[in-house]
Amino acid sequence: MHHVVIDRWSRGVSPIHAREPRTKLIALAVFLISVATTPGISPLAGAGYLGVLIAGIALSRLPLWGVLARAAVVLPFSAAFAVVNWLAGDPGRAVALVAKSYLSAAAVLLVVATTPLEQFARAMESLGTPRLIALVVQFLYRYLFVVSEQAQHMRVAAACRAPRVPGAGGGLRFRAAAGAVGVLFARSYARAEGIHRAMLARGFEGRFPAVALARPRLPDFLFLLLAAALSLAVRIGVGSA
Amino acid sequence: MHIPDGFLSTPVWAAMNLAAAPSVAYLARRAQREIDDSRIPALGVMGAFVFAAQMINFPVGLGTSGHLLGSALLAVTLGPAAASIVMTAILVVQALIFQDGGVLALGANVFNMAVAGVAAAYLPYRLWNSGRLRNPAIFLGAFLSVLAGAVLAVAELLLSGVRMGQTVLGVSLGLFLVTAVLEGVITVAVIRSLEAMRPNWVRAPDSSGRLVLGALAGAAILLAVVGVLLASADPDGLERLAERAGIAARARNLFTTPLADYQLRGFGADWLGKAAAGLAGLVAITATTLVLGKLIARRRGA
Repeated sequence: MHHVVIDRWSRGVSPIHAREPRTKLIALAVFLISVATTPGISPLAGAGYLGVLIAGIALSRLPLWGVLARAAVVLPFSAAFAVVNWLAGDPGRAVALVAKSYLSAAAVLLVVATTPLEQFARAMESLGTPRLIALVVQFLYRYLFVVSEQAQHMRVAAACRAPRVPGAGGGLRFRAAAGAVGVLFARSYARAEGIHRAMLARGFEGRFPAVALARPRLPDFLFLLLAAALSLAVRIGVGSA
Repeated sequence: MHIPDGFLSTPVWAAMNLAAAPSVAYLARRAQREIDDSRIPALGVMGAFVFAAQMINFPVGLGTSGHLLGSALLAVTLGPAAASIVMTAILVVQALIFQDGGVLALGANVFNMAVAGVAAAYLPYRLWNSGRLRNPAIFLGAFLSVLAGAVLAVAELLLSGVRMGQTVLGVSLGLFLVTAVLEGVITVAVIRSLEAMRPNWVRAPDSSGRLVLGALAGAAILLAVVGVLLASADPDGLERLAERAGIAARARNLFTTPLADYQLRGFGADWLGKAAAGLAGLVAITATTLVLGKLIARRRGA
């Protein structure tokens, strides 16, 4: 599963993994805004942004093709819109849609694949995201693995109860699927209650013990400066033609 | 529909972030008032449930299948504020881990689905929550939640200058309608199967709320949805109307070339000035968003 790979990647060791999460988040924002505001991406600008990303991936010791291929999940959606815009007589926008959505997705992937999600969420919180959102994101991610596995069981159960018979049984299969989702809901709810009690028993009061984020050090600031400078250099140097 | 980065023009994504940040801050305060702090893990588990439930396919006929989207189910079981928070968390995880929806476009996606979508899902139920009308109200809510989200997304794309011809718009609106009906049917079917296990899953709305306000908000959402539907079915008509009112030219400038007329002085090259003006505008917009969001969050927290 996709998120299992990302989770494994995010726990690696590299100069990028070691950077303080807030500086990575801000660097990501600068890159994304640079890409988003580049009017109609030229081949040179596209290559420049891609170069910045590839440098980042190389430093992070992640598999280059693995990251670039995973970011391609945005392409079907963008390509559909690109075709429509091309046919409507706006090829510049068509290219920009594909290029910008791909570059942005790859950048997000690079940062998420080098930052464990709990650190990412903590950085989000310290940059102003409401605590409740940051906490729910963390718990959601933590139980995503467990609940997805349960959903696989329920899918099998639904398929057993209402097998695929050519030409008939649509209503039966629909009801079986509704039953499976209902049971999954009830089990998730019961699991939530159990977790609630277990965490109360361990003294959880709605916040994690404050393991403060480490203060950013000189290498973190240098990283931020470099990433931002490179993004802006591409944006201002070749992006505004 | 999750809008990726690179689709929305800068004024649109910035404005949507500006709209979403205070809404979510407000909803987070409200949800925290309604639920016990130690129940926060439960919200995360329910978010994971919505994710996982999408792996279970519902046969739709013609060999295709659909799945639950979840806003309406969450709204009637957890209450609207908590449902919005869970949907927001889902969108964050989708944007970060699954590259489904952009990060700069997160404000737009959150506003479309977690704020407007959940509100549209909840309002009919808020109005008719008992007796024979309850299940039709839940159906209507699920239907409206999908439609509101999709129509808002289309409107934002059109405002950003992404072209969608008449036929494409027609086809996608048809698909949205089918998806919306399906979401309604699936939501009601799941609630029926839940209530066969235990009757009290669906939470009655707290009757202290202002019913008239709810009805008005519901009518507003309905009107906006219908209005955009009509407008996008005939975009030329909209343009003609705008031209007649003499705002088309100005509006187009506003929406496609931010700060184009405001170049910073003191830069030799024309393009450098333009780029700098654009970046300055962006920094200003982002800073305003952050400050406003923080101020509102703090005010609510006090």
